[in-house]
Amino acid sequence: MMRINPRRSAKISAAGLKRIVLTAPANVETPHPHKPLLTKKNSKAHVLVIAHSERGTLNDHARQTIAAAAILADAETKVLALILGELTEDLTSAGADEIIVLPELDFERFQPKLELASISAVIESVQPMHIFMPDNAIGDGDLGRRLIASQRTKTAATQVVEFDANHVANFQAGGTLLAQSALPEIILLAPNCVDAHLPFATSAERSDSTVTNQTSANQTETSNYQDLGLQTIAATEIALEEADFIVSAGNGVQNVATFESLAHALEASIGASRVAVDDGKFARDKQIGASGKTVSASAYLAIGISGAVQHLQGIKDCRHVIAINTDASAPMVKRADLTVIGDAEEIMQTLIALIAVAKLTKLKVAA
Amino acid sequence: MIIKRIAVLISAGRHPTSGQPRHCRNDSLALTMAVDLANSHSTELDVIHAGNPENPALANYLALGADEIKVITAEPIIENLAANLKDVDLILTGSRAENGQDSGLLPYLLAVKLNIPIVANALEIKQMDDKLEVLQFFPKGKRRRVAVKLPAIIAIHPLAFVELHYAYAREQQGKIVVLDSRSTVNNTVAENNLQWQIQPKMRKPNKLKAPENLTGHGRLLSAITSENKGGTVVNEGNSVEKAQVILSYLREHQLINF
Repeated sequence: MMRINPRRSAKISAAGLKRIVLTAPANVETPHPHKPLLTKKNSKAHVLVIAHSERGTLNDHARQTIAAAAILADAETKVLALILGELTEDLTSAGADEIIVLPELDFERFQPKLELASISAVIESVQPMHIFMPDNAIGDGDLGRRLIASQRTKTAATQVVEFDANHVANFQAGGTLLAQSALPEIILLAPNCVDAHLPFATSAERSDSTVTNQTSANQTETSNYQDLGLQTIAATEIALEEADFIVSAGNGVQNVATFESLAHALEASIGASRVAVDDGKFARDKQIGASGKTVSASAYLAIGISGAVQHLQGIKDCRHVIAINTDASAPMVKRADLTVIGDAEEIMQTLIALIAVAKLTKLKVAA
Repeated sequence: MIIKRIAVLISAGRHPTSGQPRHCRNDSLALTMAVDLANSHSTELDVIHAGNPENPALANYLALGADEIKVITAEPIIENLAANLKDVDLILTGSRAENGQDSGLLPYLLAVKLNIPIVANALEIKQMDDKLEVLQFFPKGKRRRVAVKLPAIIAIHPLAFVELHYAYAREQQGKIVVLDSRSTVNNTVAENNLQWQIQPKMRKPNKLKAPENLTGHGRLLSAITSENKGGTVVNEGNSVEKAQVILSYLREHQLINF
């Protein structure tokens, strides 16, 4: 009797079926091996997504908006993402077929006239069927409303909480009524109304923007607005829910003084787990988790926190979670994007020293 | 330049639970800011409402500091408001209404109609010569200062640092005046218009999800494998190397600037 190798080389077809191959499969490097690449050939129409980037990446809300456009677009419709601000990440999993990046229009600068002129130029050139924008406070909600007001022939809906290929719905009359309408041309999406997970990957090719040269000429034009600069409120004065960088302590932190000086060095807000608060090391209003506060920081540095479910609930909206822990099997390690295993006190001391050196060298370079 | 006339646009609000008519909080913030500004510069203040003059919600605004409320009953709202706001130096309003479509579009549409600048999400306003300095709200502890040339429209953010003062005596003294009810403008083309249908029952909105037609094998695979659980774990090295790993991660994602 001949034994058949149960692990014969096989590949998974686009339909998800496992097919045995007789020769060894060529190792194709695709960014998302489990997802079929959806290429749009001979696109006849466009859907346009406009969003600001933050620190070179798109936030969840912007990704949901691109995913929404990708779900609605059929095989002959191209999803064109117009990113205002620089972009350093790859958008193949987000659902964009083509990307235009306008790095000079980042959200930190207030230039509504220039932004409106640039996006109007893109809209004019591609004539999209629908325009999607996230309805957020980092500039897209404002820009979207300016666009709606300037293009009054286009139908529009704001704060859309539900939509599909045929309709949109939003809350009206102070959130007491749900109203429904046909799919308009300009759609400002509320957060979390779309699942950003897509079963396919897209090409996400960058194309050179033709509007850049055109808009830089406009820049000299005198404006009604004058930007006096973006400022950040000191980490100690800000509410924990609004903080962008949080350093959080758990049971593993023995020396609170070291911890506080690390937070000071990183210019971060201070949070704590329930155990640390119960021990009296921190005030009750610093507690993060189910019975404390829910935070949505860009960076969350968890020191000596094992990561109980209740605590992980409180940090579910955090973008980058870094953990310092002695136990490599703690639940926090599964949640964290980067985990360093070691003694918290020792690593905190070293971090403080390294930050001091880094700040000093930056000062010297600047001088 | 001295601000000669300030206008505040107010809308009728409703209590979120009982649905009783009351003032709209966003607009009352704008009203209080405008009253403070008008008192300190002794300027003329117009409080304008477009809608039903008999609405009991308007009495709340009298109590909150408006001496007189001018009501415009003519439709369309934007055009008739614009006709009454031609010679105003500063227009203040809340960022979102509590009645009607509350799309937050009115200040933008009005700005285009009057061809004047608009600044939204304002927390504080301060007059600087012929300009107005506005502190704008941004999430994650960021604020932006913007100077805007007058005349301008400012939409106030709900988190503005304003204390409301309610006085029953003011409610009794104040009056509501109905402006000429004939529309001064011809109705133009239907603009941005969508036919909204109110749903009979309030329900949770459905989340849009990409259709995924997997085979049985695919569904099994997706059930037993989870996408990248957990990130990098650094076990090796001394504390300096470990701290360096954290610092380079923070630098790589532009979370720190040193």
